[in-house]
Amino acid sequence: MSAPERNGTILELSDVVKHFGGIAAVAGAELDVRRGSITALIGPNGAGKTTLFNIVSGFYKPERGVISFRGERIDRKPPHAIAKRGLVRTFQITKALTKMSVLENMMLAAPDQPGEQLWRLVVTPRSARAREREVHQKAHEVLKLVRLDRLADDYAGTLSGGQRKLLEFGRALMRDPTMIMLDEPMAGVNPSLGLELLDHMKRLQDERGTTFLLIEHDMEVVMNVSERVIVMNEGRVISAGPPDEVRNDQAVIDAYLGTGRGSGESTRPTEETPPGEGETA
Amino acid sequence: MSGLANVQFWAFVGVVAGIYTIFALGLQLQFGFTGLLNFGHVAFMAIGAYTMAILVVKVEWPLWLSALVAIAVSMLFGLIIGLPTVRLRADYLAITTIAFGEIIRFIAVNQQTLTGGPQGTINLTGAGRASSYNREWLDFQAWAQDQLEVILGDHATRDVTMLVLVWIVAIVLIILLQFMVHSPWGRVLRSVREDEDATSALGKNVFSYKLQSLAVGAAIGAIAGLFFAFQFSFFSPQDFDPLTTFFAYVIVLLGGTAKNWGVPVGALIFAFIFAGTRFLDFWPLSEITSADRAFLRLIVVGLILIGLMAFRPQGIFGKKEEMVLE
Repeated sequence: MSAPERNGTILELSDVVKHFGGIAAVAGAELDVRRGSITALIGPNGAGKTTLFNIVSGFYKPERGVISFRGERIDRKPPHAIAKRGLVRTFQITKALTKMSVLENMMLAAPDQPGEQLWRLVVTPRSARAREREVHQKAHEVLKLVRLDRLADDYAGTLSGGQRKLLEFGRALMRDPTMIMLDEPMAGVNPSLGLELLDHMKRLQDERGTTFLLIEHDMEVVMNVSERVIVMNEGRVISAGPPDEVRNDQAVIDAYLGTGRGSGESTRPTEETPPGEGETA
Repeated sequence: MSGLANVQFWAFVGVVAGIYTIFALGLQLQFGFTGLLNFGHVAFMAIGAYTMAILVVKVEWPLWLSALVAIAVSMLFGLIIGLPTVRLRADYLAITTIAFGEIIRFIAVNQQTLTGGPQGTINLTGAGRASSYNREWLDFQAWAQDQLEVILGDHATRDVTMLVLVWIVAIVLIILLQFMVHSPWGRVLRSVREDEDATSALGKNVFSYKLQSLAVGAAIGAIAGLFFAFQFSFFSPQDFDPLTTFFAYVIVLLGGTAKNWGVPVGALIFAFIFAGTRFLDFWPLSEITSADRAFLRLIVVGLILIGLMAFRPQGIFGKKEEMVLE
């Protein structure tokens, strides 16, 4: 994709490469995410979507390439530093802090808690306590939003798969991020709640200008919610644009259906739900 | 069986339990709350005890200053061992910390001019000139004993005084640690234990928190080392073998992982079993010599550990629900 105007871009990747053994999981990916947009990242399994998330969020170091977020290079930064800059991600396989309560999971995520530093806990205990009250309040609000408020005092380890997805989404919201990267946020979440979450994403986008980048297999969700779709295959971005444009892109159709089978069978990408991952709404 | 009613004997057992409580509290923070598999915790005890003794005897610093510096040095070693290893996976950390513990012990054995060598601190100023580091402590203990006599009368012996002093420190530390692990700082430690990736994805510097946990735990281990040194008047490298770290793990598991108040309970049970095997002098155990019977303690400790894992894996204070969460 050609470089768009700078002020409109919040996240920009150019020529990002990452190998695992001899396999290029990400092979020179180029993409940009527009500020305040909801963008979907799609592609068949093994296309490199989750690897790309791991690279952008600092969990993998790319071998090559430049990643800038809000005009600042983040490709050599550790995950916590990237999160602190306002770019928060969730995980495909959820990472609940199981032996902590749901409420504690939420409160942990909050930024700017001086009490997280030992010396400030001693020197300025009041500011830590005051912030703790705010965080507590906010945690309850977010829990209500993701419909986990009744489970606030339960161990996070007792939550179901879908509830853990909601927990992760809630934790990300606790940080008031500039941009959220969601890795299959809808998998296992019941459809009506999934729709509510989408509504909430749109509201955050409207009210705060929050940017969303989501990996999603449910094409209905992708086509409805996102203004822009980025398609990956074999470690590269093969198409990007508005949903309608992308769904008719021959390269995309080939990627999903395989080039060998000819192109006449279907004119749009089908829901890509292989066995074991078929919990899409 | 006369020993069973002996107050002095049980006071001694209580002192050992108190020292082990402090020692295991450091491990509880590192392992129980942060998930760091530190198998070289005994090294921090050794560093605390040796640094204090060396500073008092060789540099002739006052005891309290030497003790504070000893704690600081132990923390420094916590950081030094942590910097290269804390990024490693849990099992590699375990291996490197075992090595660290043994390295410290071997240094104590071999650097005779610094540590007194295998004979221990009695040789600190060279063989044949018995040196002691605890004169100031004994003065303090005598003063404390005088104060205790007002309340306890004749019962306020040296051992009972030590008992009171050790347990005051132990309980203050428990209260302090309870405050720390329930603070926002402690919340981050617990979250590191649960999932490092989730923690760093939420903007917390996991590496830094692991180092802090290691350093604070090291300081607490050093405090245990100080009391160990005060109680026994002299010590040698063999007091700091890897078994000591293992005992601290037994105490933590017995009391309950991530339960600070479980530590003193675990330590008391442990110390009573350990001292109590000497009362197993009835037939058929009386057929074994008393020296051989001393090894029974390890068998009993092992059996209790097996029983615990089978019937109460969460420890005495632990919650069963937590064991099944994934």
